[in-house]
Amino acid sequence: MLKLHNLSKVYRTDEVETVALNSVNIEIEHGEFVAIMGPSGCGKSTLLNIVGMLDTPSSGEYWFMDEDVAGYSEAKLGNIRKQNIGFIFQSFNLIDELTVAENIELALLYHNIPASERRDRVAHVMDKVGIAHRAKHMPSQLSGGQQQRVAVARAVVGDQAMILADEPTGNLDSAHGQEVMEMLQSLNEEGTTIVMVTHSPAHADYARRTINLFDGHVVTENLRAAV
Amino acid sequence: MFQNYLNVALRNLIKHKLYSAINIIGLAVGLAACILISLYVRDELSFDKFWSNANNIYRLQTTFKIPGREPFVTVMAQGPSKHALKEYFSEDIDKVTRFNNMNTILRYKGGVYSQEMMWTDPETADMFSFDVVEGDIHKALHDNASLAISQSLAKKYFGDEDPLGKVVTVNVHRLQRDYRVAAVFKDLPHNTVLKFDALAMIDEKDFAQEPWEFTQWFSVNNYVYFTLKPGVNIARVNDQLAAFTNKNITMPSAITGGQKRDASSFITYDTLALPDVELHSPRSGMEMKAAGSLTTVIIFSAIAGLILLIACINFMNLATAKSTQRAREVALRKVLGAKRGQLVLQFIGESVFIAAIGLVLGFVLVELALPAFNQFIGKDMVFNYGDPVVLLLLVGLTVTVGVLGGAYPALVLSGFLPARVLKANKSAETSGSMRLRSVLVVVQFSISIALIIATGVVYGQKLYATNMNPGFNKDNLLVIHNVGRTGARDKQEALKQEILRMPNVTSAAFSDDTPGTSDENNTSVKVPGSETDQSILLGVQNVDYDFLKTYQIKLLAGRNYSRDRTMDGVPDGSKAKDGEMLPGTVILNVGALRRLGFGTPKEAIGKQITMGIAGPNGKPAKTLMTVIGVIPEIHFQTLKNMLRPEMYLYRSHSPFDSLTVRFKGNPEALIKRIEGTWKSMITTVPYEYDFVDQNLAEAFDREANTSILLGIFSGLAIIIACLGLYGLASFTAERRTKEIGIRKVMGATVFDVVRLLIWQFSKPVLIANLIAWPVAAYGLMRWLQNFPYRLDSWYLVPCCIAAGLLALLVAWVTVGGNAAKVARANPIKALRYE
Ligand SMILES: Nc1ncnc2c1ncn2[C@@H]1O[C@H](COP(=O)(O)OP(=O)(O)OP(=O)(O)O)[C@@H](O)[C@H]1O
Ligand SMILES: [Mg+2]
Repeated sequence: MLKLHNLSKVYRTDEVETVALNSVNIEIEHGEFVAIMGPSGCGKSTLLNIVGMLDTPSSGEYWFMDEDVAGYSEAKLGNIRKQNIGFIFQSFNLIDELTVAENIELALLYHNIPASERRDRVAHVMDKVGIAHRAKHMPSQLSGGQQQRVAVARAVVGDQAMILADEPTGNLDSAHGQEVMEMLQSLNEEGTTIVMVTHSPAHADYARRTINLFDGHVVTENLRAAV
Repeated sequence: MFQNYLNVALRNLIKHKLYSAINIIGLAVGLAACILISLYVRDELSFDKFWSNANNIYRLQTTFKIPGREPFVTVMAQGPSKHALKEYFSEDIDKVTRFNNMNTILRYKGGVYSQEMMWTDPETADMFSFDVVEGDIHKALHDNASLAISQSLAKKYFGDEDPLGKVVTVNVHRLQRDYRVAAVFKDLPHNTVLKFDALAMIDEKDFAQEPWEFTQWFSVNNYVYFTLKPGVNIARVNDQLAAFTNKNITMPSAITGGQKRDASSFITYDTLALPDVELHSPRSGMEMKAAGSLTTVIIFSAIAGLILLIACINFMNLATAKSTQRAREVALRKVLGAKRGQLVLQFIGESVFIAAIGLVLGFVLVELALPAFNQFIGKDMVFNYGDPVVLLLLVGLTVTVGVLGGAYPALVLSGFLPARVLKANKSAETSGSMRLRSVLVVVQFSISIALIIATGVVYGQKLYATNMNPGFNKDNLLVIHNVGRTGARDKQEALKQEILRMPNVTSAAFSDDTPGTSDENNTSVKVPGSETDQSILLGVQNVDYDFLKTYQIKLLAGRNYSRDRTMDGVPDGSKAKDGEMLPGTVILNVGALRRLGFGTPKEAIGKQITMGIAGPNGKPAKTLMTVIGVIPEIHFQTLKNMLRPEMYLYRSHSPFDSLTVRFKGNPEALIKRIEGTWKSMITTVPYEYDFVDQNLAEAFDREANTSILLGIFSGLAIIIACLGLYGLASFTAERRTKEIGIRKVMGATVFDVVRLLIWQFSKPVLIANLIAWPVAAYGLMRWLQNFPYRLDSWYLVPCCIAAGLLALLVAWVTVGGNAAKVARANPIKALRYE
């Protein structure tokens, strides 16, 4: 699915230069469930942003579906991104002024999909994540777990091949966290590639592979034996 | 405490540079526009209030109600009305005076001046408190060989020499006499409707040969002012004016159609207080100088108010928008024990502080703009800071604006529960305040759009009127005046022949009036043998046989006057025997045919009318005139008048007042050449000329000026509104960064986001159009009613649409740049820090 080769990211602010990623080499196959772990500030979010094409690497190659996208323009990246990648964030990132249904629909809004089909698909995923009865509510009227379920629904409604999740359970208690993890797992079983950043070893266990980052380096890659 | 507030206020001012700049600039421009318009309005309202008995001077005005025509409204009265008023109202009226400008020529040491001299009665010296600097104006106006002149005239004629006792030759009609300067008065201020640089006493004996000036009841040439006796109310005079008319005037049976009718049903008088003349003149063009108009004053006062309103709305909108960012500060202050009242005071104080800075900047703008503004509207106003009324008004205005701007956010913010603000840590804004802001933006744009529409329509009407085809070729026509005056009249034919020989002159024609005139000259005629025997009033233009050729007017039927036919035109009545009906010929316009019932132009040829003419020794005589030609209706009078039935009379035996020359190419050389010829032939009359097309356009100078001013002020209005919109857009974009980030992650392109933001601000502009269009259309349709020849109402449609599009475009440009910047930002920046 994707392959990072000698990929680096350097942040330059005024005088400080931060090397967030340092010659990272990672390969992720179709249908994999990968967890990324590591201490705070080690570059996990940076990695995920680059993989998600929200940011561009400073150097190195990023092969996405047999294309080196490292040097692509923002508009081109945006196009690839919206076809292939869904996102889940730690802080949900729902739009306060839109209802639950509208927030989910947002992921389809920019894909030239007719309104009736959008409605059907939104209804379908809301059922799937069990939030249908809250369709008309505003995000502020939901609990954190419910909000994250909406975010998951939004990430999957577009039927993208890969979902990137940055600490999806970071703001949730363990019961709600578990719920979200189970949802991700079942998505993975249906064939979606999932890359997830987490601080929780228990949640990392849901993944088939764990990549440990330290100071911008990949330190270990553990493959979990199939159960 | 106060120190702390001041620090916060100043730091906020500096921190929110954009916000502060928009607020201060918008307010400054709004206040400056407001101050300028207020100065203008104040000036218009100050007219003629400075005379020591301004409240007791009134003017008599005459309206002629001619059957079958628009009433002829004048601001003057007849010469004999002076004596009649004194006699009839001996109980009520104290003094009466007349001003009559008889186109007097003054000569001093070889200089020939056609000055603004007025002939007046001695009472003027008692009624009007002139600022006499030398001599005695009472003596001057009691003597028929003395002049009172203004300081600037004295300077112009005599330089630094003592003007008193200097002798100036006065030339008017048949009168030529040396006048001695007996008084010098300070130049009249600009805020009076009176305009003259010299006054001389009317001695009616001198004008016995010109009875229309001071003795006839059917011509009006005099501005007649009077004062009331103590304790008399003007209403007493007004109530008796009809009886006054009937007592003094007997209508000739020719006009009443043989019936006995009261004069008051044909001639009505009304009175106008002197201080009201400037704004209530029924006929601005007939005043000594063009008067102002109440409508203009009202319109511009409204515009001043609206611009200020727009600036205030900016203030409120930005203040409420910004206030959300200060929710934390307020919450913390509350946690630390601040009372609500203190917070409200703090916010209002800050807002008044900004308003005060805006005011100071506004003063600077006024000082910068005043000279140009003065020049443009022809005034010399000063902005007097010491004037307590002005100061009080401005301070009041600033405090009001400040309080209004600060009150809403102050009350809303200080009402927040601190817990909510601190916890939410984000837009604590209520949907109510957002809605209010949208409503206010709608108001701003409604005003701006309506102003733009008004600008377009006023300018369109001006263009329409000045480009209207008057029925003749108005281009390349030079008018030479004064050819009928003593000293020039005997030489006018020779002058015409000289001019015709000059290169680039294609033709030349004499006439009394020239295009653009608002003079009325009417004569009654009869159709012999008609049943009613009623006389019909027709407009008169006196022209010569070259008139049609020079003005390029095509005959619809018949022929032109010919210089070879000695019987053509109006016969010379002085040779008439008693009761003899002299034969003559006449050219009519189509309107006259309709009035006379003469059918088509072809049918009219050969029909006859009778008309009274001056007989031997001033006795009346008559002529029977055969219609030889018919021309279309042409706009020979000012385009502000309706077309009228007219006769084009040719009087071969009497001189004309002006000569119109049709030329080719550039007239500069020709004008010089004619001047040379004029000076070599005529020494006692000044050479004066102008152009027909310019004269026609001049009547619409006021509309032209109004449209320019409207354009400027509507431009300002929309600039201020857009400043506000820009501020709002940037605040909104800031507030929506997270949302925009999410949308981008979801696949929205830069274009999608820009469109989203632009649409948000297009909605209020579109709604504003729906409000502005009907309001502006209604008002402008009413305004257009003032003009007999006006734009079709459908012209409003493109004007409205264009104004709407312009407003939308301006709004887009304003919002678009900011939106694009926000949209291009990397979404992770927005999502990173929550
Ligand atoms: N926009 C930026 N400008 C400068 N430095 C940055 C920027 N974004 C990230 N960094 C730096 O890059 C490094 C990696 O940051 P990143 O957000 O990827 O860490 P992380 O592993 O996600 O940490 P956490 O577990 O706390 O989320 C950090 O040292 C951070 O300070
Ligand atoms: Mg992170």
